[in-house]
Amino acid sequence: MALFINGIGCISPQRTFDNSEFLAEVKEYSTNRLTCVDADYTKFFDAGSIRRMGRLMKYGTAAGMIAIRDAGIEVPGAISTGTALGLPEVSQRFLKSLIEVDETIVSPTTFIQSTHNTVSSNIALLCKCFSHNNTFSHKGFSFESALTDAQLLVLENMDNILVGAYDEVSDYKYAAMKKTKELRSEPSSNLDVYGEKGNGVIAGEGAAFFVLAKEKTENTYGMFVSNKAFYKPESTEEMRNHILSFLKTNNSSLEDIDVVISGISGAKETDAIRIDLNKNLFATQTIVAYKHLCGEYMTSSAFAFWLASKMMKAQQIPDAVILENKNRSPKNILLYNSHKHNHSLMLFKAC
Amino acid sequence: MSELIATLKVQIIEQLNLQHLKPEDIGDDQPLFVEGLGLDSIDALELIVLLQQRYGIKLANPQDGPTVFKTVRTIADYITAHKK
Repeated sequence: MALFINGIGCISPQRTFDNSEFLAEVKEYSTNRLTCVDADYTKFFDAGSIRRMGRLMKYGTAAGMIAIRDAGIEVPGAISTGTALGLPEVSQRFLKSLIEVDETIVSPTTFIQSTHNTVSSNIALLCKCFSHNNTFSHKGFSFESALTDAQLLVLENMDNILVGAYDEVSDYKYAAMKKTKELRSEPSSNLDVYGEKGNGVIAGEGAAFFVLAKEKTENTYGMFVSNKAFYKPESTEEMRNHILSFLKTNNSSLEDIDVVISGISGAKETDAIRIDLNKNLFATQTIVAYKHLCGEYMTSSAFAFWLASKMMKAQQIPDAVILENKNRSPKNILLYNSHKHNHSLMLFKAC
Repeated sequence: MSELIATLKVQIIEQLNLQHLKPEDIGDDQPLFVEGLGLDSIDALELIVLLQQRYGIKLANPQDGPTVFKTVRTIADYITAHKK
């Protein structure tokens, strides 16, 4: 079911929290770990609340509140979020203290913030949304599951659904990525992650939220048409068939697509299908990449959703994201993301 | 006693993450809850944890909380009286 994107909020390793800007200045990092550029959180929470919040809780909740304010609503009809790892930094602090005190008594604050649904619950408390509130945690399909949930809720006659995703790169996660050699072995510029030199991803994080609605408003960014997820496609040919079938199901075709947002990450092995498709299937489309801006994490497709929304509304593609320019206007956008074996497609249409 | 009060102020700031305060900003007899520092029920739980972890003191009767945690001085008095 197609829905209008009426409000957005994104906090990422780039300066994205201000909706009046659109990647005017791209932040360059000489490290393989990108962390969020913080907004002024005192605009969202009182001092008493801020002191208890962990890092992700702050930027996740703020991103949700930015989207709600941007849509010009007070209370969303429902909240549906996705997070692959929840709030690992706080959870790990809680577990560590549990061991240190020999499982006797531990801080209630870290316990309260240790659940995956802490951010969506906090948003609900702040805006007094006592309706449906669900958090999906399915690795690289977490945000995609929240989107499907929103579409189903609208079919059940709900409206103005706040959908979002959030994840953080904790010390533990970063160490694990290093150990499994997923990361680029040496710190490199994030803006050079797709070049021939080097192999591996840069770790990232972020939170992005959207208000999806049945009706268009003056603030509408564009239309989210559909999404579909695929597990472990074996070949370029299989993925090619999935893409063509997905477009056909949505009464579209490859010729209609102007811009492809590619989830290319810099890891040569996992990028193989995407590079092949970029060369051979998307020959006439402008190809855009984003993981050099936000890094690789399991819900990075939410950052790409934000990028699609901004491009549709501005009818502009920032130079910083263009991989191959075919001078197409961002009217119809196809997003093809993947995180390891979790592949997903999303279709957008400018209004 | 004054040494314990000074230590407690540092520990309270750390345990409750009161980054906007310095130890000297907290008066010895300033109320900690509501009209004073504005602490709440979760902070009360944090203070119980602080007592147990740092001083090995369990608050035997939770109803004593409002009296014990009224000010930094009352906490110091309670620690002095109950420390083994």
